[in-house]
Amino acid sequence: MIARSHPLSTLARRALLLLFAVWTLFPLYWIITMSFKREVDILASPPAWLFAPTLDHYRAILSEGEVLGFFRNSLIVGLGATALGLAVGVPAAYILARHHFKGRTDYDFWILSTRMAPPVAMLVPFFILYRQLGLQDSHIGLIIAHVAQNLAIIIWVMKGFFSDLPAELEEAGLVDGATHWQTFLRIMLPLSLPGIVATGILSFLFSWNEFLFALVLTNNQARTAPVGLHSFIGYQEVQWGALSAAATVMLLPVLFLLVIFQRQIVRGMTLGAVRG
Amino acid sequence: MDRTNDRPMQRAPRRELTRRRLMQATAALGAGSLASPFLSRSAFAQDAADYTSAGIDWRMAEGTEIVLGALEHPWTAAIEPLLPQFTELTGITVTLQKSSETEYVTKMPVTLAGGSTTPDVFMVWSIGQAIEGGFLEPLDAYYADPALMDLAWYDEEDIFPGAREFPVWPADGQRYAVAITAEAQTLFMRKDLFEEAGLESPDSMDALYDAAALLKTDDVAGMVMRAKSTADAVDWTAAGFIFSYGAEIIDEAGKAVFDSPEAVAAIDMYGKILRDTGPAGIGNYHWMESLGDFMQGKAAIACDSSNFALDLENPEKSTVVGNVLYGAVPGGDGNPGSPNMWFWLFGMNSKSANKNAGWLFTQWVTSKPTSLLAARNRAALPRTSAWMDEQFREQFGEQAADAALANLAAADGSKFTRAWFNPMWPQVGDALAIAINQVVVGEKDAQTALTEAAVKANEELAS
Amino acid sequence: MDRAVATHAPDTAHIQQAPRRSRFSSRGRFVAVMLAPATILLLGLTLYPFLASFWYSFTDYSLLKPNDRDFVGLANYVRLLSGSEFWASFRTTATFCALAVGIETLIALGIALLLQAESRGSGLLRAIYMVPMAITPVAATFTFRLIYSPSLGVLNAFLERIGLPPQAWLSDPRMALPALVLVDVWQWTPFILLIIVGGLSVIPAEPLEAAAIDGASGWRLFWDITLPFLRPFLAIAVLFRFIDAFKTFDIIYVLTGGGPGTSTRTLNLFAFKQGIEFLEMGYASSIAILMLIVVTLATRIFVRATRLMTSGES
Repeated sequence: MIARSHPLSTLARRALLLLFAVWTLFPLYWIITMSFKREVDILASPPAWLFAPTLDHYRAILSEGEVLGFFRNSLIVGLGATALGLAVGVPAAYILARHHFKGRTDYDFWILSTRMAPPVAMLVPFFILYRQLGLQDSHIGLIIAHVAQNLAIIIWVMKGFFSDLPAELEEAGLVDGATHWQTFLRIMLPLSLPGIVATGILSFLFSWNEFLFALVLTNNQARTAPVGLHSFIGYQEVQWGALSAAATVMLLPVLFLLVIFQRQIVRGMTLGAVRG
Repeated sequence: MDRTNDRPMQRAPRRELTRRRLMQATAALGAGSLASPFLSRSAFAQDAADYTSAGIDWRMAEGTEIVLGALEHPWTAAIEPLLPQFTELTGITVTLQKSSETEYVTKMPVTLAGGSTTPDVFMVWSIGQAIEGGFLEPLDAYYADPALMDLAWYDEEDIFPGAREFPVWPADGQRYAVAITAEAQTLFMRKDLFEEAGLESPDSMDALYDAAALLKTDDVAGMVMRAKSTADAVDWTAAGFIFSYGAEIIDEAGKAVFDSPEAVAAIDMYGKILRDTGPAGIGNYHWMESLGDFMQGKAAIACDSSNFALDLENPEKSTVVGNVLYGAVPGGDGNPGSPNMWFWLFGMNSKSANKNAGWLFTQWVTSKPTSLLAARNRAALPRTSAWMDEQFREQFGEQAADAALANLAAADGSKFTRAWFNPMWPQVGDALAIAINQVVVGEKDAQTALTEAAVKANEELAS
Repeated sequence: MDRAVATHAPDTAHIQQAPRRSRFSSRGRFVAVMLAPATILLLGLTLYPFLASFWYSFTDYSLLKPNDRDFVGLANYVRLLSGSEFWASFRTTATFCALAVGIETLIALGIALLLQAESRGSGLLRAIYMVPMAITPVAATFTFRLIYSPSLGVLNAFLERIGLPPQAWLSDPRMALPALVLVDVWQWTPFILLIIVGGLSVIPAEPLEAAAIDGASGWRLFWDITLPFLRPFLAIAVLFRFIDAFKTFDIIYVLTGGGPGTSTRTLNLFAFKQGIEFLEMGYASSIAILMLIVVTLATRIFVRATRLMTSGES
């Protein structure tokens, strides 16, 4: 749109974009280089920019198997919470965007408010609830807890996508005698697929990184990476190398997802969004 | 402020710890079995006989499963590989649940107050809270039952007396836990810098200040210690200063007295050392930062847990291997040095469904043969025989081990327990930590900060 | 979403007025069934914890005496509102939220606009910009603790290299909160960016081109056309960032623990200390309930002001 820009402003623009990329990547760069440094180089002062790389930390974490277990649990919980969250949230979002019913505004706000509660006060009742239901330390238990936390975001973001889809399609469907179910499943759902992908990624990232509930509700069986990686923060010692190696390994699948889906994310936003 | 010019360094008599001093120290610790310090050599071969000689039935709870709650700690790392031996001996399966310290203290209260029956046995994060909350099983009955415990075999005399009395709850004289580790506040000094400057291990707080000020350069801080304003951080090291000025945090009447003139002098010194000779940003230092700086040669003196030795002498991590002098925490204003100390405690969940199995584990894990094996896995334990083991001493460093033992002997456990074992300690410790932090960063003077904090602490204690 | 709502409200109305009776009842069933799973799940998991903590806030519930809790009326609230700690934490939280969300929104908006003008390589850049949300938080926060380290950290090494004096960062009472904001900005600007980029890419070209032909300047175009289109997207992004920033915990807990002194002790940290460290669940719950009230009020005002709610509630 600002297509006829001056070469100089193009240069300035690219410089700023690059600067932001550097700012974004620097901590990541630091984590990745730490994972290849010997412990004594990690804390070196002045910081060691050149160092003799080692694969010891990777060997250590991959041979132990524990980290792979965290990784597996995170993947199960993240994907499970995303799938369940979308399955439950998308229909609700559709109704909130396209149908009127009594008390909709209050219902809408109540959904939003479920994300507002500070977790500290909820931990004990949650723990007691889970103990009684026998959901402690299980994948499904943590999945449900994460869905409860992320449903507000899923519903509110999806709501935006649905209300931006042209209404004509839906009306045409209804006029042709299709039921509401058919209209939703055959017309609206496929059209909003890119939005679902974008929302799903957000939901996945939130679950992937969630700490407090994962800490209190899981033990050995379902412990996820954000909690598990804390075990490298020892008593009067930090295993910086192992911590950063594990974080790097953890990052790979998410990076993969981001690169694969980044087009979808933007396209999702594109298709779903406002048409003036 | 550099005071070295107007005040010559005191040349203290050499206080480096010798083997003779060590023997005195361990004698003071009341170790009966010390007559032959290397007795443990003969006990090198660990086999079933070490355990079956005990007059109890190790198989009494065969087939049960217990959950062990622990935090990431050298002790946990040392015990973990030994768990299969316990299973072989008793037929009891042990599942280890471990987490980092901060996670652990978050999770345990919620878990136990939520009425959970597991973990069956666990490291006690705050014994005052745990007893008050009824989370801990009283242990006197287990000690007294010959079917459950063979006292002669267990050899309690071998355990440091301080560690034996540590878990006895003053209110009812009942024992609720067993000590599993031993740490003492220790002074760490850079050997090369001290020799270069002709300095000795300081014998008074003033000498410590002078040494730190003298050794401070643009690149190397004089001294680093914890200063972060949380109860798990600055309180522990600063308490050693308070004790070494003859003061207390909570007195026998259960009142917060850290605003006494002696305590104010101690915290004033604590703040002065760190402000004048510490690095920029000292106000956010926890053990992590202190250890990192000292390992990287960025500090001439540090003062923290004796466990630092395990990292300082590890060439994988440290640039100061073999270059550390381990010393005693000096006294202030003519008082004897009284370093802080810490025994991690181990107890049983009062709601556990497998108490006999839990007790067998508790007895096994703190027994002499197991302690010896754990010590060789680099854990510092409260048993004399473990500290005398040559393999352990080599790993820990001879001089470091001697200094730690001497500091343990010099520590006054009752001053510590009156503060840390108070059920309101988290609140009191929080107020104290904030006050000390304010002194260190220069926000308030010691008198003002401590007076305010003591008022707040006493309100909490009275409530 | 004013524009979206404005255009679609009539369509919605059309469906509501769907003619025949049988259609209506089938629509009613459809609505109920579509909403049921979300409603049941949220009710099941949030109602009990909420009611429980609401009840706790009127008791002297301590985890030390789990079975012995007495009703104390408003005592917890009186103690909170009359003491200085709550208000100090409240100010800290408000400052943190305002700084963090404000800076994040500005940066995200700027970067999104720049990115829009970039045709080549923008895909890769977008993926790169998402990275902070993907790094396991414990690794990120501890790495920042190292980066901020006054003696061993890369930040001070850099300052020294360019001839500036080293800073105390997290231990300077005036600098600690901004330093924490910086970490939050690093971690969460991508969230806002993601939503704005989506919004920007759907602005129709025609009005912009028409205005450009009329000779409108770049700023005019931005203010008159781009920004109004973006508003609903900005509003959603800011809303969720605000709700989450208000609860920020791990960054502060790991980096400063609320210090130096109490200069970075936010409400959530204050509640955590009371509840988990001091085990005073009753008191902690009253902090949480007050937090909930504050966020609810702020959100209501925000939603009303930005007309975010899909129905015309005014």
